[in-house]
Amino acid sequence: MKRCLQTVLVLLIIFPGLISAQVPHEDAEKKITISGYVTDKTTGEHLAGVTVYESRSKSGTVTNENGFFTLTIIQGNYELQFSFIGYAGEKRSGTAQKNFTLNIELIPSDTELGEVVVEARRESEDIRAATMSVVDLDARTIKAVPSLLGEIDLIKVIQLMPGVQPTSEGSSGFSVRGGNADQNLIILDDAVIYNASHLMGFFSVFNNDAVRSVTLYKGDIPASYGGRLSSLLDVEMKEGSSKGLAFNGSVGTVSSKLTLETPVFNENTTLLVAGRRTYADLFLPLAKEEEVRDNRLYFYDLNAKISHKLNDRNRLWFTLYRGRDIFKNDYSSVSFGNDAGALRWNHILSGKMYFNLSLTGSSYSYKLASPDNGSGSFSWVSHVNELGARFDIVHSVSDNHRLKYGVQTAFHRLLPGTITGTGFGSGFTEFRLPGSDALESAVYFSDDFRIGEKITLKYGLRGSLFQNIGAATVYNYDADHRPADSTVYGKGEFYNSYFRVEPRIALTVPAGESSSVKTSYSRTVQYLSLAQNSAAGTPLDIWFTAGRNVKPQVCDQVAAGYFRNINGGKIAISGELYYKSISDLIDFRDHASLFLNQYLDGELRTGKGYSYGIETMVRKDEGRISGWLSYTWARSYRKVSDINSGLRYVSPYDKPHNVNIVLNYEINGRLSASATWVYATGLPVTLPTGKAILSSSVIPVYTSRNSYRMEDYHRLDLSLTLRDREKKGRRFHSEFNLSVYNVYNRHNAWAINFERDADNDNMIYAEKTYLFSIIPALTYSMRFR
Amino acid sequence: MDSIGKHIKALLIAAAIVSACTERIELKLDESDKKLVVEGFVSTDTTVHRIILTTTTGYYYNGRPPTVSGATVKIMTGAAETILNEVRPGIYETDSTFFGLAGETYTLDIELKQSIGGFSTYSAVTKMGDLVKIDSLTMKYQKDWSENGIWQVFSSFRDPVQLQYYRFMIYINDKLLTDDLGDWFVSDDRFWNGAYVTGTPVAFLDQSEDDEVINEGDTISVELNNIDEDFAWFISDAQAEMRGSNPLFSGPPANVKGNISNGAIGYFAAFTVSRSEIIAGTGKR
Repeated sequence: MKRCLQTVLVLLIIFPGLISAQVPHEDAEKKITISGYVTDKTTGEHLAGVTVYESRSKSGTVTNENGFFTLTIIQGNYELQFSFIGYAGEKRSGTAQKNFTLNIELIPSDTELGEVVVEARRESEDIRAATMSVVDLDARTIKAVPSLLGEIDLIKVIQLMPGVQPTSEGSSGFSVRGGNADQNLIILDDAVIYNASHLMGFFSVFNNDAVRSVTLYKGDIPASYGGRLSSLLDVEMKEGSSKGLAFNGSVGTVSSKLTLETPVFNENTTLLVAGRRTYADLFLPLAKEEEVRDNRLYFYDLNAKISHKLNDRNRLWFTLYRGRDIFKNDYSSVSFGNDAGALRWNHILSGKMYFNLSLTGSSYSYKLASPDNGSGSFSWVSHVNELGARFDIVHSVSDNHRLKYGVQTAFHRLLPGTITGTGFGSGFTEFRLPGSDALESAVYFSDDFRIGEKITLKYGLRGSLFQNIGAATVYNYDADHRPADSTVYGKGEFYNSYFRVEPRIALTVPAGESSSVKTSYSRTVQYLSLAQNSAAGTPLDIWFTAGRNVKPQVCDQVAAGYFRNINGGKIAISGELYYKSISDLIDFRDHASLFLNQYLDGELRTGKGYSYGIETMVRKDEGRISGWLSYTWARSYRKVSDINSGLRYVSPYDKPHNVNIVLNYEINGRLSASATWVYATGLPVTLPTGKAILSSSVIPVYTSRNSYRMEDYHRLDLSLTLRDREKKGRRFHSEFNLSVYNVYNRHNAWAINFERDADNDNMIYAEKTYLFSIIPALTYSMRFR
Repeated sequence: MDSIGKHIKALLIAAAIVSACTERIELKLDESDKKLVVEGFVSTDTTVHRIILTTTTGYYYNGRPPTVSGATVKIMTGAAETILNEVRPGIYETDSTFFGLAGETYTLDIELKQSIGGFSTYSAVTKMGDLVKIDSLTMKYQKDWSENGIWQVFSSFRDPVQLQYYRFMIYINDKLLTDDLGDWFVSDDRFWNGAYVTGTPVAFLDQSEDDEVINEGDTISVELNNIDEDFAWFISDAQAEMRGSNPLFSGPPANVKGNISNGAIGYFAAFTVSRSEIIAGTGKR
């Protein structure tokens, strides 16, 4: 049986057209196609995931990410139902003899602060779809979770999902199924975000007021995306309201935010502009240390999105993001941040076919400088730039059969670091780390269809090509990884390339009325990696490309899961099992020097990695009590030459046990309470097993890497939200949110160090550093619509 | 390794850890096998040269490190061989006429009376680089940099074209201030390779620290050692280990790789010595 299946799959991959050809046209009844958009009546925003069902033909579908649907029904009378969680259902009936378009506006059933509810595809759709290892979140769910310092953060909420772990306490970096933080592809409206952290990671770059929805693929990444091993975090920015001016804003402990939405000229064009700035530095003058008082320390984000509907067939979106962190004191200044932009065009070719074209640009850069003009003053800049284009076609062969194929290319320019003396009579000659250019291209194809009534198969193939482009000086390394000689390549010369085939396949088989068993296999390839060997990383870490000395990393993942909806689809239960194996995994030698090192390739060591685990979750999105509960058991290992004497070691984010509880309770129409409890096995650490004394200094001696653990991590957060009294026709709403982080004030270890006793220099004791005690925060937010 | 990096890191860490607290904890550690620890160097100074032999201990061991006595310790270069005398337990010395020469290769040979960690013979080979002469020093008082201000000491010298690594040792009135490995200032020449280095900062003397206080008329001297790459990394890695770790900047802790054979800890170095002096003036205003 297994062999048969494989043969079928191979055939399917080779002959994608076969399926549509083989599906017979069942009966003589003539069929017609209905297509159209579903939008939110109050904001005009397109709704993704709305269930569309025609009862006479018994056919159904869901709207795509642009709110577009297409459905084939039997000619004649029809009765259409549109349903979506958080919205009042709509019905349309009539008679139709030929294809027609139908645009539907849904009214939110939930008037609470007018939050846009873009619910996860629950109900039967989730159970039947051939997608697994996916986490959906909407802005409202994110907002309900208690936050650090009252700063609502989608990445912090993602970290509460099974299989996702923060890289260290309070960090915006996250590890998916044991992978590194740089193995996550983070995109904002298709534009890549290279560093999602603000303020050393305590906050992410995503302003929740400007976010519509978030989807995290922990495996089974769609064939249309690639370039990172572990996950795809797809963040979709909110569109502006087409129904008139709206704004919302908030004043919090850490930052203030303001978002403005408005139609421009008419309701076919909308604009959303959102800004956020922190003012932590306003409190610095209160600091005890004089040195700290004059410091500047803040970050800001600016988001803008223009949506334009040319006509029923053509839509345009233009997204812009800019964020910067600024630190400044008497001796130095640091600024870093992302810039990203995306222009996207959706064109409907026919009721059954549309294409998307997107042009994107991303840049992450930082600048360090010493402000005084002395002989030692300098500036240090680093950039990673990307220009990308993607074109894909989505073809709904039938309601049960969807094809997506396209091409994609991105030009990377990495300028890892240039240091120049800036002062008069500066002692510095210019020091420039060689930059590198590369082209990363891909063709992809995926086919998603139903076999018979219920079995769903999705398979796809991605062929990716990575090319290094000159001018470049590539060093050759000897057996000891020391630079021996170098090869120089001319400008524009394509001097090295890698081609990799990435198959992806997923199969869903129903097991009873409201449950299913899903399996998937996917291969992902990563050509760009981050030179980071600390757990949480810093804004100064640089990206480097695969090349003559560095092979692309390849990850194979298989997963199987059981999914069940109970209580009429209100409660979703899932259990997933996965196994991942990474080849040509990159780690860094002991005491690697990753800053300003032109011989960076010599610091790399490669080997294998593998991880496996079980993730279980119960999730309830509706009702007065909502939230989720998850337990994960997972392990992650590596085996890399020269590291840990070549023996296997646990990867830095290996946390065998993890429990997350997120609960939200609507006490009454005005008051709601939320609680989060997190438990995780302590992070692995390397601790000394002996010491030597050299020139009065203690030199620790280690036996093996990551063989100890920090104490277990756990934390409770609470929040309470009080909203305005509900009044009909009220346009101005406000609410207070009180959040308390780390309620029982646990001192979770962030780092473990050893100190010498002040009285006896030979006496050493262990000391832990913890970042957060109990932290309450109050946020006031308002909304005008 | 470079002062810029340290500077920036300090700033970022300060920014990040505004609210961080520390707490003493009980932490049980395993004990690894005993290893030989070797410390010593050959320099261009004509003086007594010393090799110190001790062993590793458990991490929480709170006495002085156990010394290794009765070993035969030799320093060899070309055909010449110098046998060191054990003057105190674990301390082996040459006579006061010993000196090293730039460009020479030195071999250290140790034969233990009783084996440690399964080995009774250990050796190390090191090559002394060329002499880099320090020309002059200047000083500048930075009033706001600490409570009582900081005296910055700058040195000027001609950097050769090849990749160089330097160690700067600071003396106040002939007393070595940088007597702890953790205080050694090490730099490579990436940022001024081949240039005449005018006033690169080599010391920051914090006037709030008792042993760093400078009075008018004090003599501050800086010793410039041209060290080899491996020794530079040894110092840098050891200092990284001493600084402790945090999730932002620290890579995984790891053993500090020295140049002694058979898994012994430590380093046998060879370097040139060049000194320059300055008398502290009244620049404090």
